[in-house]
Amino acid sequence: MDPGQVDEFVMGYLKKKGFNSAAKHLQESLHNNNGSTFSSNDYHNDPELNKLIRSFSQSENDPSRYREGYSKLRSWGYNSLDLYKHELVRVMYPVFIHCYMDLVGKGHTQEARSFFNSFRKDHEMVHLRDLQKLGGVLAPSHLQEMEFARSLRQSKVNIKICQYSYDLLIQYLHRTESTLMLGIINEHINFQVYSGQPNSASDDTEAVTIVGSFHETADHVNQKEIHWGLLEDSLEDRLEKTGGLLSDSEKGQGESKAGDMDDSKKRSAEIGKQGSSIKKLKKDKAGTATAKVARQETSTVLSSMPRVKPELAMPVMSADVEESILEDLRNRVQLSSIAMPSVSFYTFVNTHNGLNSSSISHDGSLVAGGFSDSSIKVWDMAKIGQAGSCGLQDENNQTVGLNGRRNYTLLVGHSGPVYSATFSPPGDYVLSSSADTTIRLWSTKLNANLVCYKGHNHTVWDAQFSPFGHYFASCSHDRTARIWSMDRMQPLRMMAGHLSDVDCVQWHPNCNYIATGSSDKTVRLWDVQTGECVRIFIGHRSMVLSLAMSPDGRYMASGDEDGTIMMWDLSTARCITPLMGHNSCVWTLSYSGEGSLLASGSADCTVKLWDVSSSTKLTKAEEKNGNSNRLRSLRTFPTKSTPVHALRFSRRNLLFAAGAISKPSS
Amino acid sequence: MGIVPKETIEVTAQSIGITNLSPEAALMLAPDVEYRVREIMQEAIKCMRHSKRTTLTASDVDGALNLRSLEPSYGFASGGPFRFRKAIGHQDLFYTDDREVDFKDVIEAPLPKAPLDSEVVCHWLAIEGVQPAIPENAPLEVIRAPAENKIYEQKDGPLIDVRLPVKHVLSRELQLYFQKIAELTVSKSSPALFKKALVSLASDSGLHPLVPYFTNFIADEVSRGLNDFLLLFNLMHVVRSLLQNPHIHIEPYLHQLMPSIVTCLVSRKLGNRFADNHWELRDFTANLVSLICKRFGNTYITLQSRLTKTLVNAFLDPKKALTQHYGAIQGLSALGHTVVRLLILSNLEPYLCLLEPELDAEKQKNQMKSYEAWRVYGALLRAAGLCIHDRLKVFLNLPSPSPSFLHKGKGKIINAEPRKRKLSADSSEKQPPHKRLITTDGPDVLRPQDRTGPAPMHVDKLIGNYNLPQNSAQPSSSEQASDGESRNGKEKERGKSRAISMKAILGQIWKDDLDSGRLLVKLQQLYGDRILPFIPSTEMSVFL
Repeated sequence: MDPGQVDEFVMGYLKKKGFNSAAKHLQESLHNNNGSTFSSNDYHNDPELNKLIRSFSQSENDPSRYREGYSKLRSWGYNSLDLYKHELVRVMYPVFIHCYMDLVGKGHTQEARSFFNSFRKDHEMVHLRDLQKLGGVLAPSHLQEMEFARSLRQSKVNIKICQYSYDLLIQYLHRTESTLMLGIINEHINFQVYSGQPNSASDDTEAVTIVGSFHETADHVNQKEIHWGLLEDSLEDRLEKTGGLLSDSEKGQGESKAGDMDDSKKRSAEIGKQGSSIKKLKKDKAGTATAKVARQETSTVLSSMPRVKPELAMPVMSADVEESILEDLRNRVQLSSIAMPSVSFYTFVNTHNGLNSSSISHDGSLVAGGFSDSSIKVWDMAKIGQAGSCGLQDENNQTVGLNGRRNYTLLVGHSGPVYSATFSPPGDYVLSSSADTTIRLWSTKLNANLVCYKGHNHTVWDAQFSPFGHYFASCSHDRTARIWSMDRMQPLRMMAGHLSDVDCVQWHPNCNYIATGSSDKTVRLWDVQTGECVRIFIGHRSMVLSLAMSPDGRYMASGDEDGTIMMWDLSTARCITPLMGHNSCVWTLSYSGEGSLLASGSADCTVKLWDVSSSTKLTKAEEKNGNSNRLRSLRTFPTKSTPVHALRFSRRNLLFAAGAISKPSS
Repeated sequence: MGIVPKETIEVTAQSIGITNLSPEAALMLAPDVEYRVREIMQEAIKCMRHSKRTTLTASDVDGALNLRSLEPSYGFASGGPFRFRKAIGHQDLFYTDDREVDFKDVIEAPLPKAPLDSEVVCHWLAIEGVQPAIPENAPLEVIRAPAENKIYEQKDGPLIDVRLPVKHVLSRELQLYFQKIAELTVSKSSPALFKKALVSLASDSGLHPLVPYFTNFIADEVSRGLNDFLLLFNLMHVVRSLLQNPHIHIEPYLHQLMPSIVTCLVSRKLGNRFADNHWELRDFTANLVSLICKRFGNTYITLQSRLTKTLVNAFLDPKKALTQHYGAIQGLSALGHTVVRLLILSNLEPYLCLLEPELDAEKQKNQMKSYEAWRVYGALLRAAGLCIHDRLKVFLNLPSPSPSFLHKGKGKIINAEPRKRKLSADSSEKQPPHKRLITTDGPDVLRPQDRTGPAPMHVDKLIGNYNLPQNSAQPSSSEQASDGESRNGKEKERGKSRAISMKAILGQIWKDDLDSGRLLVKLQQLYGDRILPFIPSTEMSVFL
């Protein structure tokens, strides 16, 4: 190789890799020596180095080197020792996608395509959706344009690997002089080498999720402190103080009460543990919590939970509303794995495929549906129920006379498909969000539109009232979630950070946090006061469609497109356990009033009940044993070809479900 | 290359009027088009998910285009998903079925019905964790629910009783099914269809909710339609089909069914026309009875005893009609040989004495009555014969003292006789002259037989004589006739040897089983040679 050529190549390489100052220095030194190359003699004369540089220059030009290198690495990986194989195979995926993107980036579309097709089968099982996305990337400009590809290019993937596997890999790469693969691995993979035996193959789920820059930030973000306790002076507290829980219904269940006591002890112990793991938390809460537990050992579980102060100015509740809520709480049925709830199902008929969303008020008396023809329809089930009891014939005529042939209230105002319609906690308002980028507030008393909130730049997928009303959160295709209050036209906070659409939003019971689920397969928890992201939950393999918070504020459940439901511990951002059972989209989730049961509704036309109290009790033992136990599916209620769109536990623990009957296509 | 080949780009370009597209441009455009299409589909899938659907529709694609601030696709709006057709001969080529519609047809067509307005219907999906069996719920739980409920209660110990008073709701389909079956049973118009209905009744699952309705229906119809022979027969067929159906748990309803069945067996009069072959109905019902006793005898211990009691009462009551006696005998004989031995054979002699005058055509002027008597006689003979056949099976391994080929052959021929006899009886119904022949000839010969004591030789001779007229009554069976003639010649010699061997065998039987031996002798006394056909051929060789 001509020395001049080598200089040129080294220069080009340095520039390309962004070592600008080094390149400048080289250039300067070359200039200073008036074209003579004595200063660079040291690397010209070294045959080893020369060879290396030559191989680099070759790799620049030849696209088939990628295929060659990757297939060699692949066959080596798959033929390696069984014990270390899964760790080495894990490396393949990032290498694969980066090889592909390199090829695309250099304009070798044809080769990129054939490379992709010949090896994609290896990764389809775990990364199908990513591959589907990447399959469409065919030009260098796409790489720039596509968020997903860009984030992949810019970030490094963290891979945990044991010392021996790492040594094996590096040795192999050096021995075979596959500098190309080595380059890709160095450039895009961040090894976290640990000593000792390799992990078992089963718990590598975390390691294989490649979500761009998430892992670094997620680890960082998840260190932040959160207060998941309920609000001080909540209604539940007041109820206990008044001794309302010791009403007849409660006395009848002396046994369960004893169980609860054990429970509260266990939990307090757990809290102690958790406190020690998070130092700040301990300072803040452990004192008050343990004190409280000591004081109120006999009272129910909720009281043993830590309490937090509201960070938002809370709306004042009118006395009669409060009284009715207290009354409901007093009459609440205690649910458990042996005491199942009753489920009342609202079936929408004749929706002509137009029902986008539905929701049920807290007492189950009102049902709202958001339709693709921009309308919202609200049914008063109490009236319809009366009609049914009075004899259908007469009442039908009456309703026809009264409402002009309709027994629902039609709310017209949006100019695009309505993607959500939800009730405020007392049921006096309906909040709707639409493809016309607006959120509208309707009064169910006046049957009229009160406010139109404009702020989002794209379709608003979901909007939810806070547990105490007044505030609400929305999320949109514009990748933000926003916090609003009813009395202001502008959003109070904007939460930006998701890498794709924000598809669903849910408030934490203490109103200080909101959770958002996104098409980027993560769930994030945001601090309402600061607007910061405080938790990132990584683990879903597809779009997150539904969220629910446990009433004690400690756990969160999220359901995705594939039918997986994940239970998360908010404080550790760890998935307690995935709940498998549904085989299609989980549209909706709801916790029972005391948090012992989780109900899920899915596109596979079933409502499932899950026992989540046993799981949360078991977590301690689980952690010790290290085995991940699956939460129990208690009961499955199939519907008559009706996908379940909405679920709501009433305050008295009656479960309401809603869905539009879908006729089997003829 | 990719999913979109450059040819597609070229074709599309032509279709929108760009004719001078260079191949390089097409090659460059193809991957970009693919990327854009994927992008739009990705957004469309999001829209679909947010519309809570799992099938992509044109409106979702419009929504996606809207999200990308593009013009929507016009002309594809429809309520449901698209129907694609596969292009024949291509693997992955699909097209929408776009029919040409005549403008005139559209204009002249009547206005379509206005679509129904949206409604919300409320029902209980579950009550305290148990799905009620109501039409609104998925049907698979309907029958399983109570059982599950029980297990659930057992498992969880002292719980409040969660069993609900589930209203017995019959689905519309079942109601229609029942109506149709009842109609077919009563109308008797289309036997072919009725046959199919019976097959359905005997094999379909999910009919269990109808069983109480059917038992009620059968009981009502039997009590109402005793004069309607065909109806009764149809009803009994329905009963049999119900019994045959493996999915039906009929046991709890047996007590309701039995009276109707017994009625069809021993009623004085079934049907009101002469042509009604009520004998057949009685035979069929007798089979039914035996079927029931076999299947439910173990679980329903009192069933058989009660049944036998009823039948024996009918049998032994001389005041009852002969038809009733016939039914009772058939019923009893269907219940098994033990029953026959204990109840019929023990009463055989007095009964035959009673029957005798009826058999005698000269004394009995009523032709009908004498025919009935013969019927009863036949039934008795059959019952006794089958019984003794069964008894004699015990001696299968008996050493045969003088088995000769000739005798064996004879035995076979004689074995064929009962069928013929029956045939003659059946045909006699249609051909009264034959019957007349029997009735005139038969008793004449029989009388001395009954009168004569236990002298086998004599009896044999007489029987031989008796056989002759019967065979001659059926000249169609020439074999039999010639056999009868040939028998005449050999009669004496055969009778002698048979008498000797018979005595020897009888002696052995006495040693082995005094009871059955006696029985045989008694039967021979009563029936003479007519009982012989029931004796298995191997034994026959022994006896002959």
